[in-house]
Amino acid sequence: MSAVTATMSEGDMDARTKPATPDEGARLGFRLTLPAQILVLFISAFPLLMQLYISVTDWSPLSGVGWWNAWEMWNSFANYTDLAADTRFWSALQRTAIVMLVCVPAEFLLGLALATLFADDFPGKRIFYSILLMPMMVVPAVAGYMFFMLFQSGGPVNDILARIIGTPLTIAWLSDPTLALIAVMIADIWQWTPLMFLILLAGLVGVPEDQMKAATLLGANAWQRFTTIVLPKMKTIIIIALAIRVIENFKIFDTLYIMTGGGPGVATETISVYIYKVTTQDLIWGYVAAIALAILIVLSIVAVYAMKRMAKSREVPA
Amino acid sequence: MSAIHLKNLTKSFGDFAALKTMDLEIADGEFMALLGPSGCGKSTTMNMIAGMEEPTSGKILFGERDMAGVPMGRRGVGFVFQNYAIFTHMTVRQNLAYGPRMRGAAKAEIDSRVGAIAEMLQLSPLLDRKADRLSVNILQRVAIGRSAIMEPAIFLLDEPLSNVDAAFRAVMRTELKQLQRQFRQTMVYVTHDQLEAMTMADRIAVMDHGVLQQVGTPLEVYNNPANVFVARFIGAPGMNLLKGRPAESDRGLVVDLGPLGVTPPLPDELASAVRAVRGDVLYGFRPEQVVLAERGLSMPVSFVERIGARTIVHLGEGASAVKAVFENDVELSVGHAAVVAPLAFSVRVFDAATGLAVKAG
Repeated sequence: MSAVTATMSEGDMDARTKPATPDEGARLGFRLTLPAQILVLFISAFPLLMQLYISVTDWSPLSGVGWWNAWEMWNSFANYTDLAADTRFWSALQRTAIVMLVCVPAEFLLGLALATLFADDFPGKRIFYSILLMPMMVVPAVAGYMFFMLFQSGGPVNDILARIIGTPLTIAWLSDPTLALIAVMIADIWQWTPLMFLILLAGLVGVPEDQMKAATLLGANAWQRFTTIVLPKMKTIIIIALAIRVIENFKIFDTLYIMTGGGPGVATETISVYIYKVTTQDLIWGYVAAIALAILIVLSIVAVYAMKRMAKSREVPA
Repeated sequence: MSAIHLKNLTKSFGDFAALKTMDLEIADGEFMALLGPSGCGKSTTMNMIAGMEEPTSGKILFGERDMAGVPMGRRGVGFVFQNYAIFTHMTVRQNLAYGPRMRGAAKAEIDSRVGAIAEMLQLSPLLDRKADRLSVNILQRVAIGRSAIMEPAIFLLDEPLSNVDAAFRAVMRTELKQLQRQFRQTMVYVTHDQLEAMTMADRIAVMDHGVLQQVGTPLEVYNNPANVFVARFIGAPGMNLLKGRPAESDRGLVVDLGPLGVTPPLPDELASAVRAVRGDVLYGFRPEQVVLAERGLSMPVSFVERIGARTIVHLGEGASAVKAVFENDVELSVGHAAVVAPLAFSVRVFDAATGLAVKAG
């Protein structure tokens, strides 16, 4: 008898301390997180919706009506059809892709090589380490000026090359369409390899030492250890590093704009430079909104893909 | 299979001598345990055998072959790490196949060797499991299998059971010993746990502070410790050692233990050896080889540990503290005096100055 009473009173206790239904708990949770949700809505969803709204109008800051009245200038989907036919947009997108496809792999390989080097001890490691991280700390605009001056036809780059070859050189780095793009990519690689290095070094140090020793004892040489142990263990961190750089590099702007202004002509005009010009010079904001939205969709696809890969590789923790 | 000879082996890290001197012969097919407290140089010795570290001086021979300068990948050594160092991003099959694959063996050959080793270690049903979610005894088998597939001459095991919870250790010990019988390889097993060494090893090398203290079968090391360190280290609790002075009596040579009185006379053979010692001696006897008697050492009981199968009685205190282990519960309580007598055959005597055992005969 007593046992039964005990169980019953325990049941009563439960009812009093815990919410009766999971539904009620969820509602409480919703109420508690409501302020935060409103904030997030305001800083992310609101601008996005505003952008979507403006992107279907001809609105510009000079049109004399507030943005909320932009519906008066509704142009159906003209901005999007214009975008599809905008060759300057498509070549800017193509250029951005080229820059990304050169810079990110270069930064990755250099960063990985440096990280491998720094995983072992060598004299002066700490000093080299600090020096190596410095480019990352330089303000991109300042880096832009630095490379702007380095690549002048009478500048240090030509001077050093001339000394190596032995004949005077006046390569017009920043006014030749191809060389300008190369110069811009060199600046980006210089500035962002350290970040890649830093992330990859963190991953490399995390590779369990005894598994490396075990591989050695089983007869694996240095290259085999690298491909069969180090790389698989670093998979997650490599995906993170690449995703960060792909997204950042896609938005390449400040250094590039100071070095070339997107020129000569449109030779170094990447997507960000193009948007900047359309925004500040042409002032057709409805169109800008359409471009920005298109890019957001592209980057979101990259991010989602990266996150999916990460989730997949996390199933096999190091 | 291969014998291992360590000759005048030393290892220093800067000013610190991790291994002061080591001479050890490990026979072909023998299970040798390197036993000692942490920092005694046992792992350093093992790492040098594996080739992970180069000796400062001295030689390592596998059979007739000098191992100086032979890189660890070419020594033909199987190594089982403390945490097994299983490649967690691979399957069991990939782990087992790793060695042959790295040496460029043909696919068909790898498959048949993996199949054979998996069969032997009862890993066949687990071959396609990811190695990161295996229980610890499976991990041990994978670690052994991964090394065994290379048919190493020598197996080195670095405290493989130290991360295993106590209840499971007995199972693992049995399994490990069976595996060794199966492979019949020379095995060197590093441990700080004497129970593991005693139960598995053919011979035990007891080490302390970079010096080899004694090599012998488990029972030799237990019954006839070569010095005071081994006497105290082996056995749980270790041997009782009481300082005293040899003295002649009408019944023969006894040891005068000061306030504790005099011991029963020493056996004749031991007595003649003890007579050669100048100065004080340590009178030693195992806590398990003590009886409650009418005459003997009369000491106050300071603590009684009753752990079911055994009862450990702590007697006296300070330098003259003695422990006695009884199979059954005893009618002793704290504060009361107890009279204990060591069994005559169990008495060992050590030179107090050198710490070395005084050998009978």
